[in-house]
Amino acid sequence: MGRRRHDGHCAEHVFDVAVVGGGVLGAAVAARLSSTSASTCLLEAEADVGEGASKGNTGVAVSYYGGPGSLETQLINASNPGWESLCDRLDVPYRRIGAIMVALSDEEGDRLEGIRQEAEECAARAELLTARQVLEAEPLVSGDCVAGLLLPDEGIIDPMRLTIAYGQLAVLNGVDFRLGERVIAVERETEDVTIIRTSRGRVRARYVVNAAGLGAGQISALAGGEAIATWPRKGQYVVLDRRFGERLSKIVFCTHLPDTKGINVVPTVHGSALLGPTAQDGEDPDDRATDADTIAHVLKQAARLVPSALAEYAIKTFAANRPASDEQHRLRVDPIVPNLVHVTDRSAGVSISPASAEHVVALLRESGLDVGERRDAVAAVTPVPRLRSAPDPEALIDIDPLYGQVVCACEHVSAAEIAKSLEGPLPARSVDAVRKRTGATHGRCQGSLCAAGVTFLCALSTNTGPATAPSTTRGTVGS
Amino acid sequence: MTGLPELVVGAGPSGLGCAIALAVECSVVIVDRLPVSGGQAGWRDPAVRSLVRQAEHAGVEFRLGGTATRWDGERLLVAAPGEIRWNPGHNLFFAGGLRPATAADIGLFGERPAGVLPATVAEHLLAAGVPLWQKPLIVGSGPWARRVAELVHGLGGSIAVTATHKPDWADEAVDCNGSLEIIGREHVRSARVHTPAGVQEVDCDALILAGDPRPTRNVEGALQEGDPRVTFVQPLVGESIQERSAAGQEIALQWLRLNGGQG
Repeated sequence: MGRRRHDGHCAEHVFDVAVVGGGVLGAAVAARLSSTSASTCLLEAEADVGEGASKGNTGVAVSYYGGPGSLETQLINASNPGWESLCDRLDVPYRRIGAIMVALSDEEGDRLEGIRQEAEECAARAELLTARQVLEAEPLVSGDCVAGLLLPDEGIIDPMRLTIAYGQLAVLNGVDFRLGERVIAVERETEDVTIIRTSRGRVRARYVVNAAGLGAGQISALAGGEAIATWPRKGQYVVLDRRFGERLSKIVFCTHLPDTKGINVVPTVHGSALLGPTAQDGEDPDDRATDADTIAHVLKQAARLVPSALAEYAIKTFAANRPASDEQHRLRVDPIVPNLVHVTDRSAGVSISPASAEHVVALLRESGLDVGERRDAVAAVTPVPRLRSAPDPEALIDIDPLYGQVVCACEHVSAAEIAKSLEGPLPARSVDAVRKRTGATHGRCQGSLCAAGVTFLCALSTNTGPATAPSTTRGTVGS
Repeated sequence: MTGLPELVVGAGPSGLGCAIALAVECSVVIVDRLPVSGGQAGWRDPAVRSLVRQAEHAGVEFRLGGTATRWDGERLLVAAPGEIRWNPGHNLFFAGGLRPATAADIGLFGERPAGVLPATVAEHLLAAGVPLWQKPLIVGSGPWARRVAELVHGLGGSIAVTATHKPDWADEAVDCNGSLEIIGREHVRSARVHTPAGVQEVDCDALILAGDPRPTRNVEGALQEGDPRVTFVQPLVGESIQERSAAGQEIALQWLRLNGGQG
């Protein structure tokens, strides 16, 4: 094969694969590669994984996303049946609660049959419901509903925990995660070896996986690959309190139009609910500002589906950018650069992540990556019991006495859970990273009671003081 | 009649007032997440100490240092270091205190940089004696605002506040009559404030939320009004310890008038 490893002869390691991007797709690919004999590194520009679209989405693992016959549909179908077992292995909250697409007018009702047919062509289960059946299945839906489409295989998932867990699995199996390392140049050293220059140094690798999300176009350009147009599509969201979210039993979609999925009402695995997203095409990938008019629009559209004084339940608003592109999804070997593989998706990244990782490894093998499966690879992360959801909370004390010390009183996150998030593979290094891993500060008081405590714990574990403790991946608590 | 105690969550002034009034007719257990009584009023205050003595005298049992997390209608789950235990109780009186309005509560939009904090958090961090910000904008002038301003001044900073009239503890007041937008990607750089005279951009390096006190609600199963076995003891008015304990007593007395002799 002539692809003998040169590790022993070189001062600098040559990785078999460098994955660029620590979002849900990059992390999934790294996790899958970690169960092979490939030596892998992952480069992420931000200081934590899951900092882009992977932390700002509705948290739905879909069963149907349009486009019969597309690769995306194949990947959704290949991923969907496995969520329970995967999330069990990765300690990720997931529930297959099903979705109802609600028609609020006769015109929308007429469209549902077409959507049902398309779902069937995509091999997704879908069943038309009468208005009465809709209201029986989800009593919170508007009485103006004329019909519905039940998609029983849609599930809700914590996309941040999924991304982190993929990353943790990869790290446990030896993948070198380089966080806070932005790619600035990609050069060819030999026919086989690529040099990736980063903000902190350089990495040499035989294959490059472009999972850079919004940065995918830039990475492809740096590597001399195909032209990929990517631009930020901003979505604004409203998070509703558990007092509302826990009454919702189904995902409530509006009747999707071919080009937009519209504003939806989605229960989260943590009991809250999400309203959104909007779709605003922009140019600035770092623009994550919310505005009053758009948030009012989100609340109004959501209230058409689920009439309620939604604003009174709002505990947070936020915006995130998904990677819009000239192609909805792009999973292929670059037509120009044979050792570059793209893996990007506009908005179904979570839903396709398990099968995409398989697909990318298959593409790499077809391109000559000669690696076998490891027998000694770890297939699961160690689960962290959660005080809030523990069926037998009294027993937690025997695992760790710190379970009795509640830090976040809204989400009932204990010091034991926070301590766990600050150690082990891919430890939290900021207040926000603790939130992504534990939910602390994320409840209805938005950290009024606990953010000081979490800040002090972060400061301790990052060996700094409260002023210089990282709040987000980019900013510290003090100015 | 069941022999179960009435459970009071929160040993601040209103919780103590409630417990004292209930103890005349019922057996009472009071729970607080802090290891001392007094809540946000602090355990050292003589008025708090006097309330604690009254409660002890009335036979109230104190279980401090444990956080109440769930109420299932018959039992309260309390997590304390070293012990997580279900505590049977007859009724729940929730006196979990007040918290500042959140960004979503007050209509705070724009970017989400580091440096946007609830006043309760800012107070804790500043109390560590580290100058975190030089020119924070305090949004709202609720009960926490003055204390935060004093701490910032003590560490050499200056204070702007959203208020119609400038309070004595602030250096600048901005009359906000609409929404606020945060400017800054990594750190707060300024805030765009809607005032009666138009939009004004206020230079600041942090936003501290100190407005419009709201009841804290964090015991699962005891979140909303309407459950006959849950009574909320969270008066929104009254800042002094005396006013708040009196309000707590009044809520308990009203409950006893309606439910007297039941326990």
